[in-house]
Amino acid sequence: VPGAGATVPPASVPLGFLAAGGVGLWAFGLVVWFAADRVVAAPTTSGAVSAVHVGVLAFLTTAVLGAVHQFAPVVGRRPLRSVTGARLTLAGMVAAAWLLSSGFAHGPETLVAAGAVVGSLTVLLAAWNLSGPMAARDGGLPVAGLRLSIGFLVATVAFGVVYAFDRQTGWFLLLPGRVLAHAHLGLLGWLGITYVAVAEKLWPMFLLAHRPRARAGAWAIGLLAAGKPVLAAGLLVAAPPLAWLGGVTVVTGLGCHLVSLVTVVRHRRRPLELLHGFVIASAVFLVVAVGAGAAAAIGDLAPADRARLVAVEVAALLAWLGLAVVGHAHKIVPFIAYTALRARGVATAPSGKPLLFSDLFHPGLARATLAAATTGFAVAVLGILVASPTTLAAGGVAISVSGALATINLASGPRRVSRHDDRRPETDLVPGRTP
Amino acid sequence: MTTAGAAEHHRQLAMTALGNVWDPELGLDVVSLGLVYDVRVDGDDIAIDMTLTTPGCPVSEQLPAEAEAAVRAAVPDANVTLRVVWDPPWTPELLSPLALQRLGFNPRS
Repeated sequence: VPGAGATVPPASVPLGFLAAGGVGLWAFGLVVWFAADRVVAAPTTSGAVSAVHVGVLAFLTTAVLGAVHQFAPVVGRRPLRSVTGARLTLAGMVAAAWLLSSGFAHGPETLVAAGAVVGSLTVLLAAWNLSGPMAARDGGLPVAGLRLSIGFLVATVAFGVVYAFDRQTGWFLLLPGRVLAHAHLGLLGWLGITYVAVAEKLWPMFLLAHRPRARAGAWAIGLLAAGKPVLAAGLLVAAPPLAWLGGVTVVTGLGCHLVSLVTVVRHRRRPLELLHGFVIASAVFLVVAVGAGAAAAIGDLAPADRARLVAVEVAALLAWLGLAVVGHAHKIVPFIAYTALRARGVATAPSGKPLLFSDLFHPGLARATLAAATTGFAVAVLGILVASPTTLAAGGVAISVSGALATINLASGPRRVSRHDDRRPETDLVPGRTP
Repeated sequence: MTTAGAAEHHRQLAMTALGNVWDPELGLDVVSLGLVYDVRVDGDDIAIDMTLTTPGCPVSEQLPAEAEAAVRAAVPDANVTLRVVWDPPWTPELLSPLALQRLGFNPRS
């Protein structure tokens, strides 16, 4: 009976990342709750910086790296350079995420420095490992996008390391624009381009959509990759014309991404389902982020109001990526679990019908996850906008609930199928099942 | 049974077996999805041309292997070879009427 393909890593690799990412989302919600008053007071306080790093590293980066360790070998049709390297990447990413976040929140500064060193070594290891499948010449747009996004990941971490040591040495002032350059490199360069590139492969597949022309995705990746360094440079050296040029380019790229989503939905051959709910809700937050960012850039605002709008933009970008990650996890995890179960000879669901991806999670819990995550992020963004710690904290609680629901649901579904199969009598074999 | 009759019998067995291989994402069999392009029988040899909805599909390694295993199980004395082909590329027009109905196909689009 066929099981996992020759190029993909063992299921425990991507599932380990994704489980850690699920715990990261749960923790992120809690940290937002605990740090709500400080986030609202000033988005650059230690508590706020710690919360953002839990969200970006412990949740988003960990989960996305897991997905990429599965996706790149499938699309590139080449294996990772090292499975052990992938496992070390997971350990390093979890360690870096929590060292940095703890260091920011409570000190001492050596924790931040240690997290930065572990994080940079981890990212270099991941880049080397992923360079195997990403060397594929026929990987198309997704692989091209991943090459760019991994480059941005390395750049983001390089910024982070310098900033981490600057906190101790005081080489230069960590002005808000400089912090923002780092944040945007990570959110739009690394995570954003990864999502846009992966979506160009996954959306047509999951929506069964064949588009006559699919150039919007290529434009999105190209414009994001071209605009992001310019925007970061403009923020870094406080050069408004440069920041504007980069910002407009990036926003145009994000617009192309949304156009791509619209064309996929228009050409779909499947009814809308759970994933599409996540994706569409996610896209709404992207629009909110662009609106908040534009308002912060254009508006004649007091510094505190501008800072709040920028915080809204960052929170909405986290929501855009977060909802997309949780939604796609409801496809990726069942696929990986399905492959592992089939390799063990499990061919049927507890219902006795052929095993499908949809048998590997509870649909009601998944819908509750979508509701909790969407509500949580919306309430959190609103809380920052109206400077209400209570509202922000409520959003954090809902986000945390969504993380717990998603993790429990996606972890328990395959176990349920596996346990049921273990109880099946030896004589009750199905076609294609290994005795 | 004549040679032609035996070949047709093997072909029917192969098609029936392929009709029990399900795409785990779409919940439809590979025949209804229009993924099976050709089944040729020549003596004890069965050659299958199959495609996938898109190159690099998550089940691109697994589904063809499952299809081949299913035909081998259905016709154990045959030499079964399955080739994944990309030309012509799969399009939704290859979906069977049943598949279109099950997928909630919207004719307006």
